[in-house]
Amino acid sequence: MSKSSPVDLAQGILDHQLVDADGENCGKVDELELRLDGDSPQVSEILVGGNAWRSRGLLGRLAAHLAGDAVHVPWSEVDSVSSVVKLKRTAAELRLNRGDERWAKLFTKLPGGA
Amino acid sequence: MSLKNFLAIALGILSAIGGFVDIGDLVFNTQAGATFGFQLLWVVVIGVVGIIVYSEMCGRVAAISKRPVFDLVRERTGFGAGLATLIASEVVNLMTCAAEIGGVAITLQLLSGLPYRLLIVFAVIALVVVSWALPFEWIERVFGYLGLCLLVFAVAAIKLHPDWNKVAHGFVPGSHSGGSTMLYLYFVAGLLGAAMTPYEVYFYSSGAVEDGWGLKELGLNKVTSIIGYALGGFLSFSLMIVAAVLFLPRGIDPQFLGTPPLAPAHAFGEVGLLLALVGILFAVGGAAIETCFAGAYNLAQFFGWRWGKRYRPARASRFALSWLVIFGLALLVVITGYDPVKLTEYSVIFSVVALPLTYLPILLIANDRAYMGSHANGRIANVFGIVYFAIILLVAVAAIPLLVLTNGGQG
Repeated sequence: MSKSSPVDLAQGILDHQLVDADGENCGKVDELELRLDGDSPQVSEILVGGNAWRSRGLLGRLAAHLAGDAVHVPWSEVDSVSSVVKLKRTAAELRLNRGDERWAKLFTKLPGGA
Repeated sequence: MSLKNFLAIALGILSAIGGFVDIGDLVFNTQAGATFGFQLLWVVVIGVVGIIVYSEMCGRVAAISKRPVFDLVRERTGFGAGLATLIASEVVNLMTCAAEIGGVAITLQLLSGLPYRLLIVFAVIALVVVSWALPFEWIERVFGYLGLCLLVFAVAAIKLHPDWNKVAHGFVPGSHSGGSTMLYLYFVAGLLGAAMTPYEVYFYSSGAVEDGWGLKELGLNKVTSIIGYALGGFLSFSLMIVAAVLFLPRGIDPQFLGTPPLAPAHAFGEVGLLLALVGILFAVGGAAIETCFAGAYNLAQFFGWRWGKRYRPARASRFALSWLVIFGLALLVVITGYDPVKLTEYSVIFSVVALPLTYLPILLIANDRAYMGSHANGRIANVFGIVYFAIILLVAVAAIPLLVLTNGGQG
């Protein structure tokens, strides 16, 4: 599916896997932000994690309370949309996957850990 | 087919057989045999065909779309329903993992005579070290092959000379005797749940994605899921048959995990007992690792984290932390001393409730030609898939009322 063919935002993008330029998982499309460009709505940002869940039902609201801020990824960073949403840059450059960095130090000193 | 490929497939089938039985099958098959004789054998057939249908489907989905089950659950059911499924599946995975660890500790106790709680701690440490240090291929092979010692139950089933005419009748559903209808239905639900436990499809599909399955593996997927699970089903038959021959007439209720091995012991003496215990130890130990990892896979796939054993723990630290925490929580559950057999009964019945939410997204994606192209479900896969989904829905609705009405299978 190229970016120019029609796509169902709810079925085809929302809740899909985000993959960075290196092909690694880096979160889900937890929420989409639309912006009116003249008369036509445009997807402006992908929201990942944290309080992006607050609009996703009762359980989402609860989960959002326990999590931190969402990471905003501008739609211009999207490389392609297939069964996954592929990004143009690496997770680190887009400040994604910081959860893995946070816990990494638990394992770096263990044999076979890093 | 070259000899090397043939060997690889044969070895895969062997480990699928050895890995088929877990504590749920052990508990429900022997209790069903000890209560209703051979009369519930037909349910095992239905359960085994069910797990074949859905593992083949999710193996195929994994090979073509490169997506594991929980990725699809999230994508197809959305955040709210997906999160509810995640929570239900995590509770069930944790309970099952705890039950399997309890099973490992009881078996170790029967082998060594050391105190139960000490052996629980030892078992968890051993499982963590094995999971940390060994690649999955090794874990699967070592636990799968040693789990094959359970074949001693199949040989015992023959040696105990069951009335084969009656055994054959057990494969046909019909009227029953020996207990109330409620209890009979409770065992129907339990046997189906034990055969089709959701963690098996979570683990199977995640393994397929991690091994990078593609078109080439579709044949392997069919062969291992069909032949491996079908032959594994014979172990379930054997457990029910030995219990029907040996325990039912003597009024023995196998409420203790040490009871089933008495059947091979009766047939073959000390060697039979030892083989049964080693078989149970590795079958249940392997299942403990699988349930724990199934829990970590689901969590990582729901939130879109890096996951898998191909990453060093520091690189996929949330995934590594998840499976370590699940082992830790399971340890806390078992160390309370709550009976692992009771824990198994509850976990199997609750897992039945989580089944429809797991299997529906698989069925939907396997039918989605945008993802699957020419490998979408054909007519046979769909007829089976839909019939089984209906069965699962029915059992899911009935399972908890049956658990309550039979007082947890006490009749």
